[in-house]
Amino acid sequence: MRARVQVFATCLGENFFSDVLKDMVTVLERLGVQCEFPEGQTCCGQPFYNSGFQSQTLALARNWLRAFANTTGYIVAPSGSCTDFVRHRYLELFPPGAPEHPQVEEIASRAVEFTEFLTRVLKVTEMGAHFPHKVTYHAACHSLRNLGLRDEPKLLLQAVEGLELVPLAEEETCCGFGGVFSVIYPEVSRAMMDAKVKNIQASGAEYIVTNEPGCLMNISGVLQRIGSPIKPMHLIQILASSKDSSRPSP
Amino acid sequence: MNKHPARDEILGQVRAALGRRAETSVANVPASARVGPRQAGDANGEIEMLLGEIAKLGGNPRHLESKADLEAALENLVHEEGVKKATMWQTSELKELGVAEYLGTLGVEMISPHADRDQLADCDLGVTGVDAALPETGTLVLRSNPEKPRLVSLLPRVHLAILYPPLLDADLGTVLDKLRDDSCVTFITGPSRTSDIELTVTIGVHGPKALHVWIVEKTDRS
Amino acid sequence: MSAIPTHIDFRRNVQSVEPQVPASVRKATTRFLDTRAAVVDVIGQESWQALRQAGHDVRLHTINHLDYYLARLEEEVTRAGGHVHWARDAQEANRIVLEIAQEHRVKRVVKAKSMVTEEIGLNRTLVDAGVQTLETDLGEYIVQLAGTGPSHIMVPAIHLTKEGIADLFREKLGLDALPEAARLAALARAQLRQEFLAADMGITGANFLVAETGTLVLVTNEGNGRMCTTLPPLHVAVAGIDKVVPDLESLNVLLKLLPRSATGQKMSAYTAFITGPRRTEEENGPKEFHLVLLDNGRTIILQDEITRETLLCIRCGACLNVCPVYNHVGGHAYGFAYSGPIGAILLPQLVGTKVAADLPFASSLCGACADICPVKIPIVEILLRLRRRVVEGDTVEPAVSPATLRLGVQMVARAMSIPWLYDLAGQLLRIAQAPFRRGAWLPSLPPPLNRWTMARPLPALRADWRAAWRRRTPEGRTRQRRIRIALVAALASAAAYVGWRLIQRQDRGE
Repeated sequence: MRARVQVFATCLGENFFSDVLKDMVTVLERLGVQCEFPEGQTCCGQPFYNSGFQSQTLALARNWLRAFANTTGYIVAPSGSCTDFVRHRYLELFPPGAPEHPQVEEIASRAVEFTEFLTRVLKVTEMGAHFPHKVTYHAACHSLRNLGLRDEPKLLLQAVEGLELVPLAEEETCCGFGGVFSVIYPEVSRAMMDAKVKNIQASGAEYIVTNEPGCLMNISGVLQRIGSPIKPMHLIQILASSKDSSRPSP
Repeated sequence: MNKHPARDEILGQVRAALGRRAETSVANVPASARVGPRQAGDANGEIEMLLGEIAKLGGNPRHLESKADLEAALENLVHEEGVKKATMWQTSELKELGVAEYLGTLGVEMISPHADRDQLADCDLGVTGVDAALPETGTLVLRSNPEKPRLVSLLPRVHLAILYPPLLDADLGTVLDKLRDDSCVTFITGPSRTSDIELTVTIGVHGPKALHVWIVEKTDRS
Repeated sequence: MSAIPTHIDFRRNVQSVEPQVPASVRKATTRFLDTRAAVVDVIGQESWQALRQAGHDVRLHTINHLDYYLARLEEEVTRAGGHVHWARDAQEANRIVLEIAQEHRVKRVVKAKSMVTEEIGLNRTLVDAGVQTLETDLGEYIVQLAGTGPSHIMVPAIHLTKEGIADLFREKLGLDALPEAARLAALARAQLRQEFLAADMGITGANFLVAETGTLVLVTNEGNGRMCTTLPPLHVAVAGIDKVVPDLESLNVLLKLLPRSATGQKMSAYTAFITGPRRTEEENGPKEFHLVLLDNGRTIILQDEITRETLLCIRCGACLNVCPVYNHVGGHAYGFAYSGPIGAILLPQLVGTKVAADLPFASSLCGACADICPVKIPIVEILLRLRRRVVEGDTVEPAVSPATLRLGVQMVARAMSIPWLYDLAGQLLRIAQAPFRRGAWLPSLPPPLNRWTMARPLPALRADWRAAWRRRTPEGRTRQRRIRIALVAALASAAAYVGWRLIQRQDRGE
């Protein structure tokens, strides 16, 4: 075993997309990475912070830090949004001088998004995945703008055997999720989704892939409601597909 | 009694918010807030760029080699735009070119730029010089003084701007530096335009409906 | 439309957006973004990013030394022969302009497009006092005829079709026109030409005010700005105190950023640099120049170091164009003068959190606005800061959210920060969702979660990751078994307790 990582499940991940987490572990282990899951982790606090309840974030952030204290290796999440939150926002919640600050510097800086971990840390794009389908990719806002992951997820997809990556018009436009926004303004959120789905349909893809549970929940929900045959998937699920395990859609 | 309660209150609140005091001196504008000037290309390239930009904007640029060319161009313009009345800046450069005289021989009535504005608004053509030009953006810089009344480039239906001699500046910054002493300087970049109705580009709203820009070489100046 | 609202209900406004609006808004914003991208390409990404940084730095430097530059500006405008007035709020600004008008027996005013006069509702004040006040920017002229407000910072009548505009001209002006842009523009030109020549006073805003020289910079395309500042004998400019820049050299940066970001032009058709009234020896230009410097909440915006950067805005509208929310709702949904991401951060600060509490939430926090902003305003950071102001309150304003909501969220947050409770809650919710479950989905949930399901179903809660993880090892399996037993025991005792209470209640005959 050449490396050890901590699984940062994220609340959407563990409550709605356990398959994605299982696949994440599968891919990592296939690459010779040993996975651990600190059971003390809950939510990183982002939904509270982004809704304005910023002082309520502190208890959650402290718990998260506690959960990952005394662990080693990168902290890998299937979400750019949660990664960005602990990596950047914790420094603001616990600025220099705060008792937690040194811990933030040590722990939160180890947090990486999954595709980021593969391409920037392990520096691999090829992992023997096989997925003979037409796929299009939606760029999640926080991965793209806050972590700067523009090409990396697509490089991973392009390396998948049999996969045809077709372009998505307005790939970088928000799908309308936006956390609390989607609940406060469902009409606007829906209008944004409809525009996204129109582009997905126009792409001619069989699968719509993204690397963010929030976007996945949103996009898969609207595809379900309109009865679309296009199947939503997390990028990790594609990377976990191999020749002998042609998997059904989630 | 405070003579300027609003002024003092606003400045006081600004200072309180910023944690500054009236006597706090100001730091210099940071170097990071400046950008270097654009470097000029060769002279012909710059002229071509200027005329090209103006053409793209719906203006009518021409490069005239001589005074004879100028006269032919004027004749053409008067004919094409149906010019009956014209007004003009009173600068020595334009006088030297003999524009007014030649327009006169073409039967155009010359209106003094000092005439009342209804008369100026009635003019078909306003002729001005140009104090500087920016090739990068196709911009003409017009200063304002008694010889260069502001209305000549504004009220007539057609604006003819003559660059004589062609005063090109490579960069906006160098032009801005020349503006310190004028009450009014106008940058003109193409004819007046709007996209306010369904985004359809419409040329000629309130300002001139047509812009002609002629570069006249000084070769035959004795 | 110029009335300052008492409450902005974004959701209701969205629901009343006319169906044709999103498509026409999108057509305009797409055009602007395309032309913008083309002119940015000419400059090159690297130089453009350097320009943006310089734009940010010069604006932030100015705002951080605002008192100094305002005092300098006043000095220089006065030296050039102009008059400077200071207005603490909208009412004071309106009163100042009206007094200038009345002093000069002004009957007819022509106005160039100005967001700030929209902000203070100046037109209403003048019209109420019997002064004819005419918008002369074509788009503003049209929305004034329609009796509505602008829906886009650059294209105020973006929400109207040419047919609608032709109807408007017929109805309000008695002019028959074919519904063609060129015909309608020509009609407006002819109408307004007479007004320009007859006007006693021109009113404009300001794109920039140069402290070093006392120069007012106006960036326009139609030529109406030049008309308003050249023909009438009196020119009054109204500008927020945030419009000042240190010197002409600053414009070297800002004038390269503004038209490119706004309309994708390398330079607008007319950029006028006006320093005081006309000189004594000049014939053209106004005899008097007045500058009204308006606070109207801006000094409050300065108080918070993060929200302060709202004042860097140069009003290009690029953030509107790129915003997926704005593109689907248009400008009127924001309820007042400013819209899009800049409206969402500026309005709550100008009119107060209580009035505009909805707006900081009218964003998916996607960040496209901050990425495109030519002066790099951290719009997402400011939205988050304002969300906190709404929910929890801060040093600038108290919270407007109900205390019960805060208490409820606090309890949830605390519970979620306790790992066993978090785990247990997941298991309980998994059981509780059963009546709503249709296969792998929850198509319809009770309030407040119906706000999610009205737009799309929620995937059924699985909450099975931890169990799956534990089952990977023998020790984990033992642990998982114990947790399961504890969960069943807890549920059984809860059921027993509830049953016991029900029996007691029946016994008492309640």
